[in-house]
Order: sequence, then C-alpha cells, then structure tokens
Amino acid sequence: MLGVLRGLAETLRTMARKPVTIQYPTVRRPIPERERGYPLLLWDSEAGEPFCTGCHACERACPTECISVTMKDNPLAAEEKSKRRKIVDKFILDYGRCIRCRICVETCNFSAIAMNNTWDGHEMSRYDRSELVVDLEQLLAKSKAGGFTPWVAP
Amino acid sequence: MSALETFFDNVWVDALWRLLAVLGLMVIVVLALTYVERKFVGRIQMRLGPMRTGPYGIMQPIADMVKILLKEDLRPASADRIAFELAPFLAFVPAFLTLLVLPFTAKWDVRVLDLGLLYFIAVSGLTVLGYVFAGWASDNKYALIGALRVAAQLISYEVPLVLAVLALAMLAGSLNLVEIVEKQGRVPFIVWQPLGFFLFMAAAVSDLTRRPFDVAAAESEVAGGPWIEFSGIRWSILYALTEYTNMFALCTLGSLIFLGGWNWPLGLEWGWWWQLALIFAKTSALILVVMWVNATFPRVRVDQLMSFCWKLLLPLAFVQVFLNGLILVYDWPDWTFLVTSGLALAAAGYIVYSVLPIGSPSRMVVRSGA
Amino acid sequence: MATDLDRDLETLDINVNVGPQHPATHGVFRMVLTVSGEKVVDVVPHIGYMHRGAEKLSEGVDYRQALIYQDRTEYLAQFNAEMCYCMAVEKLAGLEVPERAEYIRVILTELNRITSHYMFVGAFATDIGVYGTAFTYAFREREYIQEIFDAVSGDRMMYGYFRPGGVVWDVTADFKDRVRWVCGQTRVGIDDLDRLLTTNEVFLTRCHDIGAISLEDAIDYGLSGPMLRACGLPFDLRRAEPYSIYDRFEFDIPTGTTGDVYDRYLVRMEEMRQSVRIVEQAIEQMPDGPIMPEKAPRRLRLPPGEVYMRTENPRGEYGIYLVSKGGEKPYRLKIRSSCLSNLTALKQMIVGQYVADAVVILGSVDIVLGEVDR
Repeated sequence: MLGVLRGLAETLRTMARKPVTIQYPTVRRPIPERERGYPLLLWDSEAGEPFCTGCHACERACPTECISVTMKDNPLAAEEKSKRRKIVDKFILDYGRCIRCRICVETCNFSAIAMNNTWDGHEMSRYDRSELVVDLEQLLAKSKAGGFTPWVAP
Repeated sequence: MSALETFFDNVWVDALWRLLAVLGLMVIVVLALTYVERKFVGRIQMRLGPMRTGPYGIMQPIADMVKILLKEDLRPASADRIAFELAPFLAFVPAFLTLLVLPFTAKWDVRVLDLGLLYFIAVSGLTVLGYVFAGWASDNKYALIGALRVAAQLISYEVPLVLAVLALAMLAGSLNLVEIVEKQGRVPFIVWQPLGFFLFMAAAVSDLTRRPFDVAAAESEVAGGPWIEFSGIRWSILYALTEYTNMFALCTLGSLIFLGGWNWPLGLEWGWWWQLALIFAKTSALILVVMWVNATFPRVRVDQLMSFCWKLLLPLAFVQVFLNGLILVYDWPDWTFLVTSGLALAAAGYIVYSVLPIGSPSRMVVRSGA
Repeated sequence: MATDLDRDLETLDINVNVGPQHPATHGVFRMVLTVSGEKVVDVVPHIGYMHRGAEKLSEGVDYRQALIYQDRTEYLAQFNAEMCYCMAVEKLAGLEVPERAEYIRVILTELNRITSHYMFVGAFATDIGVYGTAFTYAFREREYIQEIFDAVSGDRMMYGYFRPGGVVWDVTADFKDRVRWVCGQTRVGIDDLDRLLTTNEVFLTRCHDIGAISLEDAIDYGLSGPMLRACGLPFDLRRAEPYSIYDRFEFDIPTGTTGDVYDRYLVRMEEMRQSVRIVEQAIEQMPDGPIMPEKAPRRLRLPPGEVYMRTENPRGEYGIYLVSKGGEKPYRLKIRSSCLSNLTALKQMIVGQYVADAVVILGSVDIVLGEVDR
C-alpha cells in the first residue's frame, strides 16, 4: 500500500508548485540569441544596397536546394558609389523547404544572409503554401527597417 | 393559510419544484465539475488548465456544451434503433434518480425515504443497463466487448459497495439517511469504520469508471469502448453527464454517511447556511480525492480489476460486516469498532504489500566494469 | 489451442489492428494482433510508414550536409546520432578532434541521453494509463535541458551542432553554470518520477513479469542497449569498446535480472542517473582550447575506404557504415538501426500475453520510427 501512498504524496507535492506553462501568444518565452529562425538577407545601410552579391555559394551549399539566386552587374558600382561590382538580382527562398540548418550562413563569404533570431523568424504560418516562397524584397524588409542584429558565430 | 401556501402544500407541486431545484443543481454541478477537473488535474501536472475562454477559463464548460450540441448526431445504419435511442437515457436517468433521496441539509431534500440508502444503491446499479444497451445497439464487436467488460466491472464492484454500506447501516441502525447523519453528532462514522470507508471509496472509484479502474476508456486503445458509436449530445449524456452526476451523488453519499454530513462538527442547531457549507466542503473534499487518484494512478488490466474486486475487496467487505455484527451483538464499547476495523485495514495493506513484488534496489544489479 | 470445447464452439480468432494512427504506438507503426479470447496468438508488425530515404539522400549531399539527416533520423537522441556519424567520418578522414570539442560532445550526448529517457518514461507511463502526470513531469525536466541545447546550438530539436572534426562553434559563456544547475535539477526530477511510479503497486502489477525475454533469445535477436542490459548482460559499448573519451569517466552499468518490462524501466531510470554522473565529471574536467582542428579543410574530401562506427545510443547500438570512393559525397551511408533490431523480438515478447499488455510491451521497446524506417 505504501507505493500508492507515495505516488499520491508526490502529486500532492507538485500541486503546490507554480505552473511551468506560459500563455503563448500573450506571453512569449525569451529566445536565445543563437536561435535559428528562418533566414533573411542583410541590408547595407551605408551603401544603400544588400550585402548579397549573388555568388551562388549558399545555393550550392543548401541541402534542400531551397535557394534560387541570380546576379547582375551593380549599377551603383558604375556610378562609383559601391565597391561591389556584382549584386544580387533575384533571390528566391522557399521557406517551405528550408530546414533552418544554417549551412547557408556558414558558407556565405559576405555575411549577407543571417538567421532571424526573433519571434517572427518562427511564426511562419500562412494560409497558402505559395506565400512561403519569399523574394528579395521580403527577405530584405526586416533588415531595411533597422534594429535587427544577427548573431555572428565566433 | 394564504393561497400561495396552499398551492405549495399540494404534494405534486411540492415534488415538482423540488425536482426542478435538484435538476438545476445537477446541471450547475456537472458544468462546474468539468471545469474543476481540468483545472485541478492541470495543477497537479504543473500546468494552467483552461485560461482563454473567459477569465481563467470559467466559460470553458459553456464552450464545451455549445460544441457538443452543435455536433452531428451520427447513428450507424445497422444499429438497433430502439436500444440505440434508449441507451444514453438508461445510463443517465438512474444517476439523476439517486439525487432525489440525498438530504443536503436537515430540511433540504426532495424526499427522505426510510429506505433511502437501499434506494440509492439499488437505483445506482441500473446504469449498467445503459452501457450494455449502448454496446449491443452499436453493432460493433469492439463496442460489445467493451460494454460487457464495463458491465462485469460495475456489477462486480456493486457487491463490496453494498456490503460496506450495509455494515454502516448495521452500525447506524437505520437506512434513513437523515437519521444516519443525525447519529454522527459526536463522531463521524469514518472513525468507526476506516475499512468500510476504504471499501466504499475503492468501489465508488470503480463505479465511476475512473482511474485506476477505467478499463472502459482503455478499451479504446485496442478494442473500443461501449460509447464509440455515439456522438454529440448522446455521447455527452452517456459519458460526461452520467459520470459527473454519479460522482456528485456518490461523494455526497460518502460525506453524509461517513464524514458526518451537515451534522458534524457543528451539530444540528446551526442554521442552514452552515449546514450547506459543511456538506459542500465535505463533498468537494471527496470529489477532489477522486480526481487526485485519477491523475496519479495508471490503469489496471481487466483481469487484475476482477481479481482486485473478488479476491481483495469482497473478503474485506465480509470481514467488516462480520466484525460489525460481532461488536453489535456482544454490545462491546464503541472504540472496538475503530480498533478492529483499523487493524483489518492495516492487515489488508500488509498482505498486499508482501504479496506484490516491490521494486527494491536489490532487484536491480548495478555493475561497473565490462 | 484446439481443445474439445473449442472445436464444439468453433471460436474465431479476432484480428485487432493497432493501426498506424494510434495514440499509443509512438509514431506511425502498425501491428496486427491475432487475438484468441484475451491472449495474443500472433503479431505481424508493419513498418515503413516513415521511410524517407535518409540513406539515399545522404549519397547526394556532401559530408557537412549529410549530418543533418542524422538529426532527422533519430529525432529523440540527435546528438548521439550526430556523434556516431562524425566519428565515422573522422575515422575515415583521419581527423583529430581537439580536447575541448570532445568534452563538449560527451556532455551534450549524455544530456541528450537523459532527455531521451525522460521521453521514454513519459510516453511509457501514458501507455500504462497515467493520465498525463508523469508525462508533464518528464517534459518539464526535459525542457530545462532542451533550453541549454537551444542556447548552444540555436534549435530545440534538430541541432546540427557537431561537425566532423569537432563542433561548429563554441558553447555559450554560461554553459558550465547551466549544466551544473541542470544536473542538480535532473536528479530531483528523476526522484520525482521515481516516487510517482517505481513503487506504485498499480504500476507494478501492470509491468511486472510482462514481456520477458531470456538472455539467449535477446542475443539471438540482436537486441542491444537497455533491452539487452535488462536481461542481465552488462554490455555497454561505452565500456566494451570505448570511443571518444568515455574511458576517462567513472560510471556504472545498470542491469536487470529477468528482462521484463519493469526491468527495462528500472534500467533506463538508473541510466539517467549514471549519465548525470558522467556529465558532472566531464564539466569539471573540461579544458579550454580550440573546438575544430587547425587544418580542418573547408570542404571535406575523404579517401576511398569504408568504416563501421558504432555507439551506444539510448536505444541500443547505433551504427554507421560509411563507404567512400574518394570525393566529397558518401558513396553509401548505411545506418544500423537499434530500434529495428529491437523490434524483431516483438513477436517473441508479445505472443502469449494479454492484449492490453501488447501496447505496454511496445512502449517498453522505446522505438523511434524515424530510426526504424529511416
């Protein structure tokens, strides 16, 4: 009989503890800075253009082949405003295929792509699967708006 | 007497408004119990329970009720029509009928019967019919197996329940519930009958098909329960309403006959609000104990369920009746009740403890090195 | 079972389908039980519902990318799978792992073993019928450890943190303090679950003498891990063939006696405690230093050859058989799945038991369908 009493005493003890659940989405757990949300592109505000040069390194490294990049000659370089001679033309990332492995960030030579370590890097629910395929403007939006600092690996 | 008083003196009108009052009470209690269970079990599991529907989730039972009412009422084409229609009601109506004989205070009851206790036990045994009808009418072999298992369980556990209550009636000398409560002015009967109380609670938990005896629900893991073909309001009647009404009725009965009801410790002179508060507190305590046990224990297997009843509870129930009879015939003092009953309970615990293999560290060999 | 009575009554054996969508089968696993009365007469397991071609996919990607498939194959003991893969590649490539990386790997792997066993206890108690209490306790403890994993690697489940040669970046600054705290917390959590379940008479009657398998049968079927140790053989790959730095730590190997469901549960609970011991020793000994070898090439090219590396996963012996024909991509990556080998003994364990115990026995094998089907 003692075993059942021990079990009952245990549940009585846990009744006195504070609940460990929080009420998402009213309250959100703070996420660590290394968190791997869905990737986004970084905007170079000094030069007024994205960091990305369209070099295809991330496209080749991606295990699920979810990135599609094209590059073009940088019009700002012709005007002597930027050092980048090539710039990204089209950048299509399918969030539906991305597995957030961060290999693209590791491979990038220009630190142009980063993982979104905020909550909207995770809240990617959409009503239609085609809305998950994002293009260059959508990827740059958060960095352009300012205030986003990605985590850089030591 | 004024016209209003003569109107309410009419026995039919009197019965009618009391009936409606108990019906209203039952509805409120059942709704409240669904909420309390979820919050209480959530607390045990260190989580919050319902929080979003209304402040602190108070509107959750209303939301559940609306959801169930809006569900499609499916009926299998090959189901036995009459039995299928009748089954939920056969399960629920006896549970409601048992409420009619419970005195909530000295003056508040529907009808105090001289054979109140007998009526309660007899009527509450009728719910078995509902489950059997449900299983048969569903035209589903798994529902039938589940229903027969539940029937076996409920019928088996009636016996120790009846014997425990019978032992108590021997002690009190009456089957009238009000008299039983009035006899507990000084000491509640749980002190004289600890074994009886344990038997009553074990049999009650099984009568409610709650863990650890909820084989009926476990059937749906492998073989299906008796209510798998029921949906919407019929399922709710069969499952939620019956279970919570039964729980309320059995726990009220337990607090009346074992814990002293509205009598102990304050006595009969205090007003109806004290009596109501006392009985509310005691019934709530028993209900919370049932829910606490529900959240803690795993479920037993069907054959273990039967062995537990027939091999453990039934002999203990006989022992309790025998001891009570012995003490009453030889007119021994009251404390012998406590001693004998307590010793029997301790002996039972010891037997269980020594028969079952307990996981001691010696059972496991911890070795280091390959 | 053809007695005279049976022939007169013409009883029929029922096929009960414990189908792929089922709350109790730990994933998409189907078993068809043939039941005569209450006893199970035959079991036919059906697997393959979760086959995603991890081995074939690994052939099309290079060695860094193939690591992520290991996470997704063994999704409850990810660091163990990653460790096995990384060690296989390192063996073939001849890479030397720095000390600090070895310690980080061992600490994270043992913590992952603890989370995996917590998951087992929670799911197993739910199979037995506890209404979610043990499950929430186990998950609360698991959450503390997962927060460390989240802080270090960036993800809560698919870590991708190990690399052939070491780990991809260093741990966080508060790693040591957090790990020490979580070791103390885990001991409390294991004791909580212990008090709730281990001596509970109802739990005992459901688990004792159920699904027992003898040691000879266990070795014949190729069982490994806690299933083998519960039968009485103290065989642990971390002791028998020490890999990485396991020979520097002191820990015991818990074994059972009868090989039944209760023994497996006890063995896993005790293994959690031993893992905490290992983590505590490792965190004291952990040196500073680099986490990847200096000459680590950017793109890993392995010489032609083959290697079989096996490690002690929470579920048994997990093996990676890697064949390389030179080049950046594996030619063949075969995963020796511990759960699949453990499942072959299912028929032996379930036949003759009651129907209600079939689910309990399946739960005690502790399968991860991703590993069974790959």
